[in-house]
Amino acid sequence: MSLYVAAFGFGLVIAAVIAIAAVGFTMQFAVTNMLNLAYGQVMITSAFVAYAVNSAGVNIWICLLVAAVSGSILSVLLNRFLYAPFQRKGIPLVGMVIVSVAVSLVLSNILLAIAGPDNVSYLQSSGPTYSLGSFQLTAAEIGIIAISIVLMIGIHVILVYTRLGRAMRATAANASLARNSGVPTVRIVDIVWLITGGLCGVAGAVTSMNSGSFTVADGSSLIITVLAAAVVGGAGQPYGAMLGALIIGEVTSLSAAAISPEYEQVAAFGLLIAVLIFRPRGILARVGVGSSPK
Amino acid sequence: MSYYLVTIAVYFAVDAMACVALNLQFGVAGVINFGFILFQATGAYVAAVLSLPKDTAHNGFQQYVLGLHLPFPYPWLAAILVSGLLALPIGLVVLRRLRNDLQAISLIVTSVIATLIVTNSTPFLNGAAGVALVPAPFAGHMSPTGTPYEWLYIGVAFACAVLVLLFATRLTYSPYGRTLRAIRENEDAAGALGKHVYARKVVIFVVGGALGGLSGAVLVGYIGFWAPSAWLYPETIILVAAIIVGGRGNHLGAVLGALLVPLGFEEVTRFIPQFGTSGLTPAIEWVVIGSLILGFLWFRPRGVIPETRRVFGPTRDG
Amino acid sequence: MSLDRPVTVSSSSPGAKAPGILNTTALRRGFEGVHAADDVSISVRPGRITGLIGPNGAGKSTVLAMLAGTLAPESGRIHFEGSDITSMPAYRRARIGLVRTFQMSAEFARLTVLENLLAASQMNRGDSLFGALLGRRYWGADEDRLVAEARALLSRFGMTAKESDYAGDLSGGQKRLVEVMRALMLHPRMLLLDEPMAGVHPNVVHEIADCLESLRDGGLTILLVEHELPIVERLCDPVIVMAQGRVIGEGTLSTLRLQPEILEAYLVG
Repeated sequence: MSLYVAAFGFGLVIAAVIAIAAVGFTMQFAVTNMLNLAYGQVMITSAFVAYAVNSAGVNIWICLLVAAVSGSILSVLLNRFLYAPFQRKGIPLVGMVIVSVAVSLVLSNILLAIAGPDNVSYLQSSGPTYSLGSFQLTAAEIGIIAISIVLMIGIHVILVYTRLGRAMRATAANASLARNSGVPTVRIVDIVWLITGGLCGVAGAVTSMNSGSFTVADGSSLIITVLAAAVVGGAGQPYGAMLGALIIGEVTSLSAAAISPEYEQVAAFGLLIAVLIFRPRGILARVGVGSSPK
Repeated sequence: MSYYLVTIAVYFAVDAMACVALNLQFGVAGVINFGFILFQATGAYVAAVLSLPKDTAHNGFQQYVLGLHLPFPYPWLAAILVSGLLALPIGLVVLRRLRNDLQAISLIVTSVIATLIVTNSTPFLNGAAGVALVPAPFAGHMSPTGTPYEWLYIGVAFACAVLVLLFATRLTYSPYGRTLRAIRENEDAAGALGKHVYARKVVIFVVGGALGGLSGAVLVGYIGFWAPSAWLYPETIILVAAIIVGGRGNHLGAVLGALLVPLGFEEVTRFIPQFGTSGLTPAIEWVVIGSLILGFLWFRPRGVIPETRRVFGPTRDG
Repeated sequence: MSLDRPVTVSSSSPGAKAPGILNTTALRRGFEGVHAADDVSISVRPGRITGLIGPNGAGKSTVLAMLAGTLAPESGRIHFEGSDITSMPAYRRARIGLVRTFQMSAEFARLTVLENLLAASQMNRGDSLFGALLGRRYWGADEDRLVAEARALLSRFGMTAKESDYAGDLSGGQKRLVEVMRALMLHPRMLLLDEPMAGVHPNVVHEIADCLESLRDGGLTILLVEHELPIVERLCDPVIVMAQGRVIGEGTLSTLRLQPEILEAYLVG
């Protein structure tokens, strides 16, 4: 039993990490209507940028900011120079999947060429371990959860209480209507990619912190986990992504404890498929069903 | 005949079959099967475990199911059948009314899940190590080593490829093919004109899957082993790139794409001198493939040999 | 800019008249808490062009979608030529003679104009997997017959020269004609036309209107959803008016114009 309690606690850490990533991913989907399959690669690239700075002796927690900045820049460039132009060209949704897969291929292999295939780790200390019964968390893990909560609250505040947030929600709901109502949608989209890019970068660094060692190849499994969380919770809905992250995090951790660690990914991806089959909208949102135009 | 040239020839035939099959699904019918490699893999595994004997050398150093030691052509026929059967439930589930891009992603994820399951359950298909020592299909008739056998295999592989090409062409240049293309252009309009879009998409998904299975059987019969590393999901991307480059919707374009991308590309890099660290060259290969896809999608989305315009001759009077 | 209070008009169900070729009974469909269509009972009489008009958000598209089968009503029934088709899927309605067109261009862009028409037919033996495999010897005769039929249509609508053009390269008005011709290949008994004049050059509008009139004269029943009142005036008799999801009137446009409730719905809504 204590195994499961510990697994549950660990699941919270995973959920915290995935939440940061999934919220960013789902918001990109909400405003641009495309599933950015290169998101995982941007995550891992930012993790490596943070690694470079970290290796030079900078404290890992400060490197999170570096990761955020690198994620932001990369994401904005990606949208400005690749995604938006292709979308303007009129490429259908399926074509955009191909585009984002191609982008992720290019990105991951450029990174591979630069950073090499080896596993690397951050210079970090886990800090003391705190226990509550069978519940065990290190100081670093608590720090990660804290960061995640702060970021979630921050996103919530922006979306609900600021004019920017209202503009973002309007653009996500109906871009042309928003534009006609005076919302500068192009600039809003840029800002969304900036913010979500930052989330993406932080998520990449935090994931890598959490998993001990990481390598370029991790990008591909990351994107599927993020996608799973976003879709399960409801694609396009930030609160859905948070819920989805919690679910995926716990499913992953508990199935690793219950079956075996090798099957934790199968459990998470299986859940994604199940949701796509039975409730494509996910738990919270309204997207997913219906044929797309061409 | 040098072993290298034989290998290229067989790989070309296999890639051509795979590309034509994927082209039927994607180029003609608009069904984006991002999990295609799974069906080639199914065909390869089925052909392997049906032609392998119960116990391979060294007291079963590898574990796998079946092992029926069947002679040619049964493993290959089974490969076609099972791949098609596997495509049926997957197609039925994924091709329902889901956004096209979510459909595509579901198929990628299916491919990944399959890889995970096979890798982690060793008794099934020997896990990550894969199955080896697959008997050569025509060993019963002649010695599997030596030039005559190589020529025979090339002949059979090319015969299969030509059959697949003829089959696909006949389908595509018919009223049935026209309906598939209409579905590709606008599903809703096709449905509004009385076509059962869902059923047709599932059927072409199964047909393409079955043909993919054949390509896998031909491949495994030649190289003699098959492992998860041979069918990771990026392999489908290479085939998609081939079709985009060669010509979507045009089967000759698909064959050309097979020549240029999976074959030509891989072979050309073989001759480039190794530079930098090992692993740099494959990385650059992938960068080029990704860039090719982006470049063609931007500048020439129809591909090198685009789909032909169908022009009808004068009507016969009467 | 929507009506804040319900329009107080008796939604008279045209039940007193003879049942039409298409009848709906109390169709209801909600959408995000609003009644997109509420208690809609209409009767479309055969051999006429019936107009369906109303301000934005009146529910015309919702009703059309339910008639076409792409949206399921929450309650109510639809009868076509005597049979209950309420739960019939969209693709089957086309096969029994109820064909719709789309508001946004729905041509098969990378098929030629002739292929667009050929693709529409249900009568081709080659349009099945095995039929295709049997080859031209099997389906050639059907194909030739359909090509002749399609070419006759093209000639009637003046588009023979465009036969081998890709449908996606046509102008807006030409695309509309292709869609109408495509629908005609199915030998429909009734057409549901969703704003066929939207985005069409004024010259071409009259051509299309001429075509619709000649089709009606040939015995085809048409339900026309349309915004342009001059077109409605020229083509439609009767006209059904909707507002806020309900039917608020039916008759000729000139008589409807005299009813204050109708005017109010249009001005305010």
